[in-house]
Amino acid sequence: MPTVVALDRISKAYEQKVAVKELSLQIEAGTMFGLLGPNGSGKTSSIRMMIGITMPDSGSVNLFGKPFDRESLKRVGYLPEERGLYKKMKVMDQLVFVGQLRGLEPAEAAKRAHAWCERMQILEAVDKKTEELSKGMQQKIQFIATLLHDPELIIMDEPFSGLDPVNATLLQDTLIELKKAGKAILFSTHRMDQVEKMCDAITLIHRGNVVLAGGIREVKSRYERDRVVINFAGDRSFLQHEAIASFKEYSGQAEITLKPHADAQALLRDAAARATIYRFELMEPSLEEIFIRTVGERVDA
Amino acid sequence: MRDILLIAKREYLEQVRGKAFRVTTILIPTVFACLIGVMTLAAKNTGVGKHIAVASNDPALANRVRDAIVADKDAKATVEVVAPAAEADHQALVSKVDQKQLDGFLWLDTTDSGAPKATFESRSSGDFATEGRVEKAVNQALVEQRLTARGLASTDVASLTKSVDVKTLQVKNGKESASNAMSTFWAAYAMAFLLSFTVVMYGMNVGRSVIQEKTSRIFEVMLSMVKPEDMLAGKLIGIGAVGLTQLAIWGIAGSIFAGSAMAAKLMAGGIQFSIAPITLVLFAAYFILGYALYSTLFAGLAATCDTEQELQQYAPLAAIPIWLSFGMIAFIVSSPNSTISVAISMFPPCAPITMFLRMASQFPPMWQIGLSLGIMAVTVWAVLWLSSRIYRVGILMYGKRATLPEMLRWLRYS
Repeated sequence: MPTVVALDRISKAYEQKVAVKELSLQIEAGTMFGLLGPNGSGKTSSIRMMIGITMPDSGSVNLFGKPFDRESLKRVGYLPEERGLYKKMKVMDQLVFVGQLRGLEPAEAAKRAHAWCERMQILEAVDKKTEELSKGMQQKIQFIATLLHDPELIIMDEPFSGLDPVNATLLQDTLIELKKAGKAILFSTHRMDQVEKMCDAITLIHRGNVVLAGGIREVKSRYERDRVVINFAGDRSFLQHEAIASFKEYSGQAEITLKPHADAQALLRDAAARATIYRFELMEPSLEEIFIRTVGERVDA
Repeated sequence: MRDILLIAKREYLEQVRGKAFRVTTILIPTVFACLIGVMTLAAKNTGVGKHIAVASNDPALANRVRDAIVADKDAKATVEVVAPAAEADHQALVSKVDQKQLDGFLWLDTTDSGAPKATFESRSSGDFATEGRVEKAVNQALVEQRLTARGLASTDVASLTKSVDVKTLQVKNGKESASNAMSTFWAAYAMAFLLSFTVVMYGMNVGRSVIQEKTSRIFEVMLSMVKPEDMLAGKLIGIGAVGLTQLAIWGIAGSIFAGSAMAAKLMAGGIQFSIAPITLVLFAAYFILGYALYSTLFAGLAATCDTEQELQQYAPLAAIPIWLSFGMIAFIVSSPNSTISVAISMFPPCAPITMFLRMASQFPPMWQIGLSLGIMAVTVWAVLWLSSRIYRVGILMYGKRATLPEMLRWLRYS
């Protein structure tokens, strides 16, 4: 897999505030990469440096295996978090304009725009002015504008914000298809469930620093499976077992947090000896929990 | 370069197709024509139809003054004579003026034989036209009376005091040519007014367009495709072309109108506009440079604002040079080659307007025009340099309007 993006210790400071500090990451073709972090953590600043909207104070940006130059931008599609369209322009004119700026011929841009509008189910909107469209439709057009020139690197900052579930799924499926077609996709979001489902690798940044990075399975494997859900009937005395740090009990179900390095199997044996067990699940922490734990610790610090 | 042209084309088409373009294309000449009409009408009707009284201890003099005022057909004044007048009459006249039965009265006192005293009392203190007429009439009446007193026949007095109209000729390149001071003035006024109007209007237009792109959050999308310099350049070229298109429409419509029968009728009064080709070339040059100056300035400032309201706070930056230029109209037209006139026509924000006012009165030396265009070009370059740096940083900043120290810091890290 060729490396599409390689950032090597890039930093950016505004006045006294450090926006990004020594960020390094790599994104391979055909993978989906999640750039995560709380608000104001430096995600947008990092993306802007990646595509030359701002220059890093130090460090280097490599796109498609060579140092950054503006020619490479023809192979990048960027959907910023602060995004918009020309309100007075007709949808088709707008898409052709964007296509031309990306180096397409007008006829080719119009053809592709038509095909995309069909795929995104907004063909009836092509002759309308942007300001006449609903917010969801505008989002879809922005999405098309980002992809019209068939970019090899797709960068989307909070792509799902403001979309209804039906359109969010449509967008999600499209991104997965693009990934399968060999595109490198970077997206940033707060929606950890989507990251967990879609991303192959993540980098979590907080206050400009990388606090967690790696393949998603690998990252999760670093965290102990310390959550247990038991559905049971009968004697509940096993809840006093020495492995348990804390628990919440509902009717017939207990949600348990184990002590560090506790033996879950010993708890299972003890519970099975005392009560009837319908379900015993030893769960890995969700990405959301990891996010809150990692960032939360640092917020407290 | 391709990107700049694409952006310019988009901007041009959006504006030319817009409603605002159609409205201003029709409305501005209409307003302009109405303005000239109203001003002409007002000038003709200043101090007309006044009801005044002439009071004097000398009835003969009072009657002469009345005759002199009534003789001025344009004034259409009604004059009554109170003579011989006593102190009680003075009080009566004051109360008549106060009750608006009279617009004013002239009190002439010749009891001191050496120097007659004349006082004009009226409600308004700014009616210069009536005051001028009264003063002229008093002096004429006194001259007539003194000449008669020295034994001249009244027919001789009339021929001696007959006034003469002064004809004006302009010397150009060693040749005399008939000059119509009014028509030259109006032509200059029209072009200077048009320049100030369009230069500032389109300069502000660029600022508004930047704000709109900022509020519609289009900037970051665009910046992932094109350089901020190209965006700015495309916008300046596109909107500048809109301005030139509008001027061309007005120019063509104006020349068609001038050739029509209706114009022949209107212009029969002797007012002609003759515009030399060199004037047109200079008009275009001053429009382009003036527009470039104001538009780059406002593009930079707009990038630091979030709303049009915030941008409006900078409007005086454009308004003050225009007030200054128009405040100096009379001075510049009457002494186009004085040091102050030359200096202000070199000052870039005022140059387009003031140079045209100078041209109206007397064509300035070519080197001065060249120098003023040169200074403008250098200033445009400097403002462009500053503005494009502020623009690059500002367009990605959302939130409150940037302060001057913030802008200076942006200059450093852009």
